[in-house]
Amino acid sequence: MKKSGLSKVVIVVICSYLTIPLLLTFIYSIFTEWKDILPSGLTFKYYKEILSDSYFINSVIRTLMISAIPFVTCTAVVLLALYVIEVYHPEWDKYMQMLCNIPYALQGIILAVSVLSLYVSAPYPFSNRFVMIVLTYCIVILPYIYRGLKNSLDSINANRLIEAAQMLGATKFYAFFAVVVPNIISGISIVAMLSISIVFGDFAIVNIVGGSYYQTAQMYLYKKLFVSGQASSVIIVVMFGLTLILSAVVNLLNKRWKKSREE
Amino acid sequence: MFKSKRYLLAILPFLLLVIGYELVPILMIVIRSFQPQGHFGFTLEHYQAIFQKRLYQQAVINSIIIAVISSVIGIIIAFFGAKAANDSNSKWRNFFINILNMTSNFAGIPLAFAFIILLGNMGVLVLVGKAVGITSLENFNVYSYKGLLLTYIYFQIPLATLLLIPIFDGLRKEWKEAVLLLGGNSFIYWTKVAIPAILPSILATISVLFSNAIAAYSTAYALLANNYSLLPIRISEQFVGDLVQRKEFGSALAVVLMLTMIISTMINNYFIKRSRGGASL
Amino acid sequence: MAYINFININKYFGENQVLNNINLEIEQGQLVTLLGPSGCGKSTLLRCLAGLESITDGKIFMDGVDITTADPKERNIGMVFQQYSLFPNMNVTENIAFGLKMKHMSKTEIAKKVAEAIEMVDLTGKEKAYPSKLSGGQQQRVALARAIVTKPKVLLLDEPLSAIDAKLRKSLQTSIRKIQKELGITSIFVTHDQDEAMVMSDVIHLFHDGRLEQSDTPINIYTNPRTKFAAEFIGHYNVITAEQFQKIIPGAQNTSENIAIRPEAMEMSLIPFRERDNFHQFEGKIVSHLSHGNVLRYHVEVNGIILEADVLFRSYYLYDNGQKVYITVENRNCLMVS
Repeated sequence: MKKSGLSKVVIVVICSYLTIPLLLTFIYSIFTEWKDILPSGLTFKYYKEILSDSYFINSVIRTLMISAIPFVTCTAVVLLALYVIEVYHPEWDKYMQMLCNIPYALQGIILAVSVLSLYVSAPYPFSNRFVMIVLTYCIVILPYIYRGLKNSLDSINANRLIEAAQMLGATKFYAFFAVVVPNIISGISIVAMLSISIVFGDFAIVNIVGGSYYQTAQMYLYKKLFVSGQASSVIIVVMFGLTLILSAVVNLLNKRWKKSREE
Repeated sequence: MFKSKRYLLAILPFLLLVIGYELVPILMIVIRSFQPQGHFGFTLEHYQAIFQKRLYQQAVINSIIIAVISSVIGIIIAFFGAKAANDSNSKWRNFFINILNMTSNFAGIPLAFAFIILLGNMGVLVLVGKAVGITSLENFNVYSYKGLLLTYIYFQIPLATLLLIPIFDGLRKEWKEAVLLLGGNSFIYWTKVAIPAILPSILATISVLFSNAIAAYSTAYALLANNYSLLPIRISEQFVGDLVQRKEFGSALAVVLMLTMIISTMINNYFIKRSRGGASL
Repeated sequence: MAYINFININKYFGENQVLNNINLEIEQGQLVTLLGPSGCGKSTLLRCLAGLESITDGKIFMDGVDITTADPKERNIGMVFQQYSLFPNMNVTENIAFGLKMKHMSKTEIAKKVAEAIEMVDLTGKEKAYPSKLSGGQQQRVALARAIVTKPKVLLLDEPLSAIDAKLRKSLQTSIRKIQKELGITSIFVTHDQDEAMVMSDVIHLFHDGRLEQSDTPINIYTNPRTKFAAEFIGHYNVITAEQFQKIIPGAQNTSENIAIRPEAMEMSLIPFRERDNFHQFEGKIVSHLSHGNVLRYHVEVNGIILEADVLFRSYYLYDNGQKVYITVENRNCLMVS
């Protein structure tokens, strides 16, 4: 049918446009020279160089830390707050929703400069850059974590489950954390991916709040940008690959968890 | 039944986090924007400087222009993309969505770098332009407003398409069938039924795209240095870097940025209300 | 004192009064039903007994103890919900064992009791299944087992069969009644379906707008509704005003109350009945009829008033529309209702 043919074309065109820069970056990373239309000098030496650079490895580890720690912290904080709201004060939910939607408007730079100017001269530990970065990211990913957890809670009718558990002798606390939470784990994993990719790709916050005090992979990349094109492209490819691997791992764990419940 | 209110402790971490790193920082920024540099008081001098000095006027105007253009172009492309996804079978649709998800992460510095490879001084397309004789390609300066616009459009497309696809799902094929049965054709269906139905959602998406673009920092930072004045860059300059720190002025700039987002949302909401009329998706 | 006592229960949701001066007693070992239309307060009263809602004032006593302010988990009450509320991350065994686990029983004890419960609700073979793989009826049986395995003092069932299709509902009604009798456990059943209430209960408490309208055995409440609402809700009564009754039976006793007549209490014939004491007789004209399987429901017009008369479909005879018929009704089947 003509229609499906046209839509396939549109999809192919858009996908090509979107993947060409990626492909180019990858090609750039495996050739020594690209002065003519076609590159020359196929090699993987740049990969060897970067992957054996301890500065790079350390910067990646730092990136992972500032992705994982805010995610875990924010999830715990939101779960505790949702416990109070779902079980005791459902009428407070609209305020929580408002507070969790504000960060949508505080994109990158605004939040970064606000936090920096407020806490840079605060007493320790609040002036510590790592602390600032982690807590700022908590706010950045807050809307996504709230939305993901709240949707999961609604879909399993958490209130009824808590009532049933109470009738069987459980405390409200046990009911929430031992009965409800295990059922929203898969909701959490989707949000995990989103949060981690947001943090991985962010530069504004880590540059403004962290500055030269906390070198993450993005900062390392920026430094190399003006030094060596090949090194930069390698870093980009490696970081991108890392994101893909992480999301594949999360997906796999999710599938396994679902499977174990389908016996 | 609620003998002790101990459970309220559980909401404390959330409140502390939100107050400490969301509410108070914003409040401080707004307050500081009205303070003269270095000491207490109240002044409008920062705002006056923003709207009177050419450098900052340009920054505001440039930011708005690039945000609007990239949003509009982005949503047009996304419209056709979402329509194509909607018309395809699940294999193509899933493939498309996966690519969109994957490339939505490819923004900021990596994106700027990729476009430098493509259109920089020694960029692939520039070399092709030289060889084939297309002067517009040959002389393309990626470190300019045009280059920046291209990168902005690039990262708007996945976001816009991913937001539009579920909206297209809301279009029921029975509507199209009804139009055809009543004697209309595809064009009429789109212009009289489908687009009016999804227009509020499209406008809402434009609002998201606008905010996304106007606050974008990394891509501009990597491409521009000082060639083209943009609001986010001007803001960060006041807080970090080699220039003298001017926190109060920077705060005023940040407030102006927030205001553009708020005003654009309000304008958008006005148009959404107007287009709503009867039922909508 | 009865086993469960509700004393002067009042409950408000904000400005809205949902329970109005409820006084109710329940004897041990009985299965009673709280019956009424949606929003009448029956589920609310149940949840107050469970401890899931607080009451504005009044007291609740169970087995001699004032439980008005006790936590749900201290009340030793089992509950089955309308949406089953099985824990999705646990299989059938784990769901049923949950209450026993909360009591810190030994693993062997738990295993034994769970096995007994599973057999009692006829789910042998499904021990390891997860709720998402069970049918609605099976899930409800798991919910029932889960509620009774801890041997609670009272069992509450909040519209447990509303989400189940009609055929299955009948067999589950029988199962629940059977289990309840076997265990001798005091049970309170909430439903809006009067047929269900009639089949299952020892006593029916009829609720209307937050008030207790009438309490009696199923047969009594069916044959002697005391209010217009009761008459219209419980059966399919014809309820007419005193003036209308005068029109149908001129010279009947002067009364200012409404009159309720059961459709099946009206006997019809093509020839007049012979006069009898204690029986009213009058003429009417057939307007239409509806077949309800084994019952034919006729609409008969008497002096401008439409009455419904039910006839058991014994022979294959149908009255034609427009035919004149004679109707006779026992005096005492013309009930005065407020």
